Amino acid sequence: MEYENLKNELLALVDTGLKYARTVDNQAEFELYLFYRNRAMVNITQGMVDATDGIIEGNATRVAKENQVSFASSSGISIDRIKRSINEATASLKSLSVKDERFKGFCEPKKPSKEGAFTDEILNIGKDELISYANALIREGKECDKKIHMVGSSCEAEWGGFAIGNTRGLQEASRSAVNSCDVYCIAVKGNERRTAYRYDISRERLIAPEGLGEKAAQKALSLLGAKKLDKTMTMPTIWTPDAAAAYLYASLGQSARGEYVVEGRSPLADKLEKEVASSMLTVIDDGQNPSGFNTEAVDAEGHPQQTVTLIENGKLQSFLFDTYYARIYGTESSGSCSRPGRPFGSALPYETSPMVRPKNMEVRPGSNSLDEMISSVDRQAVLIVDMPIGIFHSDVATGEFSAVASSAFLIEEGEKKWPLQPISVAGSFYNGFKNLIDVGNDLEKTLLTVDTPTLAFDGFSVVG
Amino acid sequence: MLDNLRECVQLGEKLGAKFVEARYEDLVLRALQRTNDVWRDIILKSRAGIGVVCYYGGASGYSFTSTANKSSMEASVSRAFKMAKGSAKAATLKLDFDRRPAIKSRKSDTLSVKDHPRSEDLTYKTDLVNRAVDTARESGANISNITGRYGELYGQKLFTNSEGSVIDWNFELVDLRCTVTSKTVAGHLVNGADGAGGTRGLEYYKSPGTTPEDIGKKAGSNAKEQLKAKACPAGKFRTLVENRLAGVLAHESFGHLSEGDFVAVGGSPLSGKLETRLGTRNATIVDHGTPDISDIGGLWLPYDDQGTEANKTTILDEGILKHYLHSRGTANYLKQKPTGNCRAIHFGFIPIPRMTNTYFDAGNLTKEEALELLDTGVYAIQSSGGQVQADGSFVFKAIRGYWVEKGEIKNPLREVSLSGNILNLLSNVEGATKDLHLYAGYFGGCGKGGQAPLPCGLGGPELIVDDVTFGGQAG
Repeated sequence: MEYENLKNELLALVDTGLKYARTVDNQAEFELYLFYRNRAMVNITQGMVDATDGIIEGNATRVAKENQVSFASSSGISIDRIKRSINEATASLKSLSVKDERFKGFCEPKKPSKEGAFTDEILNIGKDELISYANALIREGKECDKKIHMVGSSCEAEWGGFAIGNTRGLQEASRSAVNSCDVYCIAVKGNERRTAYRYDISRERLIAPEGLGEKAAQKALSLLGAKKLDKTMTMPTIWTPDAAAAYLYASLGQSARGEYVVEGRSPLADKLEKEVASSMLTVIDDGQNPSGFNTEAVDAEGHPQQTVTLIENGKLQSFLFDTYYARIYGTESSGSCSRPGRPFGSALPYETSPMVRPKNMEVRPGSNSLDEMISSVDRQAVLIVDMPIGIFHSDVATGEFSAVASSAFLIEEGEKKWPLQPISVAGSFYNGFKNLIDVGNDLEKTLLTVDTPTLAFDGFSVVG
Repeated sequence: MLDNLRECVQLGEKLGAKFVEARYEDLVLRALQRTNDVWRDIILKSRAGIGVVCYYGGASGYSFTSTANKSSMEASVSRAFKMAKGSAKAATLKLDFDRRPAIKSRKSDTLSVKDHPRSEDLTYKTDLVNRAVDTARESGANISNITGRYGELYGQKLFTNSEGSVIDWNFELVDLRCTVTSKTVAGHLVNGADGAGGTRGLEYYKSPGTTPEDIGKKAGSNAKEQLKAKACPAGKFRTLVENRLAGVLAHESFGHLSEGDFVAVGGSPLSGKLETRLGTRNATIVDHGTPDISDIGGLWLPYDDQGTEANKTTILDEGILKHYLHSRGTANYLKQKPTGNCRAIHFGFIPIPRMTNTYFDAGNLTKEEALELLDTGVYAIQSSGGQVQADGSFVFKAIRGYWVEKGEIKNPLREVSLSGNILNLLSNVEGATKDLHLYAGYFGGCGKGGQAPLPCGLGGPELIVDDVTFGGQAG
């Protein structure tokens, strides 16, 4: 398929599939989803190369009848494969004896929103360019310093789209293309090994790998000479954008999801229009941000994607919903239905039944620079400069997290001092929002589809 | 389909590839989820596709298709070859390997189960979930949510290569889980969970300890107990690590570092440390593709996705590093034998070194002796996963636990993360219990290189470890 004709071709298949579905059971309600994505990727680590070039294509059917709903997917988008998922979903339905009384039908047709930014330059990236970019990243990192013992890079270009249709008359499609690169460097001194990475990702321009290798190497070098914190205490922690993005995605990115709200697993469920955070915090989820990686004209069930204010000046404003959970909650869908891709989705998104996920979260920046934030801390504190490990192994219900920050510095007397050996940071996500002490002005786009500046919290336990 | 795969191999060789592997999978994945009284997911996935690896000049190129027609397969072979040829110029670390005699699989390579999930209807499986959820409700207190899940994955895996190997076997996996969320008087939410899975027939859910009622009861009572649990103190403590958690530790914090690709490029702290003492004599870590499942549980993987037969690989033998986990290329590069660890999550990915069933080997302590040896510290139980970094730093989550004083179990503890550096931890393993259990499941799995979740087995005995960092509540 060509990018230009992709939507029309997918929509034609959806139409054919739905016509077939009606012949299978004209009393049932059907929804058909088709996915097509062309993906090329090159990984180079210390001269070891992995390269993949292929097309991911598949389809999924949801069928509903008398408050029973079933889902079936199959790889491929040929009519035969589409018929297979229709037939299997219908067969499952017939053998079911379980009902979902809350199901009130699939998404109603509405005018679609806009696709995100696009450049056709991404369509023309070939394997040679990807290999060349990956090599350039490695060269830069290696040439930076003899203490850089290992450099790895990967470059990726992908484009494609999806189409969705249902027997309520909805038939929509959306396309996107994105290219990305990343580089990581390991600096070694004696028995000490410190890792750092940098990346670039865009849907509106070609990636710019220049300088990333050197930045990653310099960052890894800056972490050498780490000292033990040698303390167990509660202290302020300052999270730069990559770390802050992980915090936001693991906390609000989960607890704002309609399924957790409706099912009683989100501690925010009964806090709408209440203070849940410091008044410094405003967070939106913008499904229409042109440069957002998850921006599409419609979400994964065909509802137009939107901009949703989650927290405004510390007050909880709304949750994220798809049609199913919105109807239970008594509101409208926020266009947040997903069959997850970025950042933690399946490589075969059509296999995932629709669920609620943030699209592109964004924190409103404050006024202080990182240096000003550091200098304003009058106690010992910790600066976390990369995503801590383990932060996603937290549970939405408890909100309690414990993560290890391997890239951290001690702050003392308002100054950034030396790097620290890995420290454990623990606490409650939700208390953290209330104990937010500063929001930086350094807004950055991150790999986690969260745009955020640096955030500073008080009250977490630190062990090192 | 085998003829199609053979044609892929021939075409790749004709294009100029030095070696070609072609594989096909035709899998069925089913997931059922009931949340409270609502059936949220009744899911069936039919996953079929072909993957082709072409080797050229010490590099590999991979492509795949889910369309099993001649033109799609030819296009895939061509893409794989072009990627390999383009990569060869950039590949300074060559992962060639020697040819070996062709391997032919046997029918007996597929583990036979009594009650295969394909032979039972949907109602049978929804009933398993219903029974777990209903029992959990009876066993819990102040419940705000109960979720019951059933998953199954089975189907054909077919492989051939330039050596003429023909491997044809069937993967099989079932899983039943229950999670209960309860609300404390103060309004905090706490969890309890239990589950059982692996390469088993559905008769497994008739065995004592793994019936739906047993699973639901444990999930409900664990959540009920958590209502009164205290926060774990932050700091460093002696710990008794329960076997599921010990498995996560073996997998996340050591197993990944022993994978041949990390080792070959020098990215692992285990690189160049063969025959070096890394842990105490109580620390033996094994990866085994075909464990005795009827005895200890786990996942049955007789071949990897590169056509290598399963092995039992002792990675760490009484504290001494003995072996890494390999693909054919990394084994050749590091001058060791292939271990049958080259796996891909599905046809959309190239196989890479991954674990199969990874665990600490059993010791000689009884549970009572282990508690006595622990003396005072934390008994950390169950896990919701973990993560490791290239320097050996790890963090993993225990979902519940107990504070132990002088060998006696005291108050329950809430979920807590354990962290540290694996090389330090191995030198602090003081003992292991006799009981060895492996766990595997449909839900969750291992992640690496964008390939997640890959089903793996993990587990072990219970371990006594000194000086573990707990990220609890600072006093």
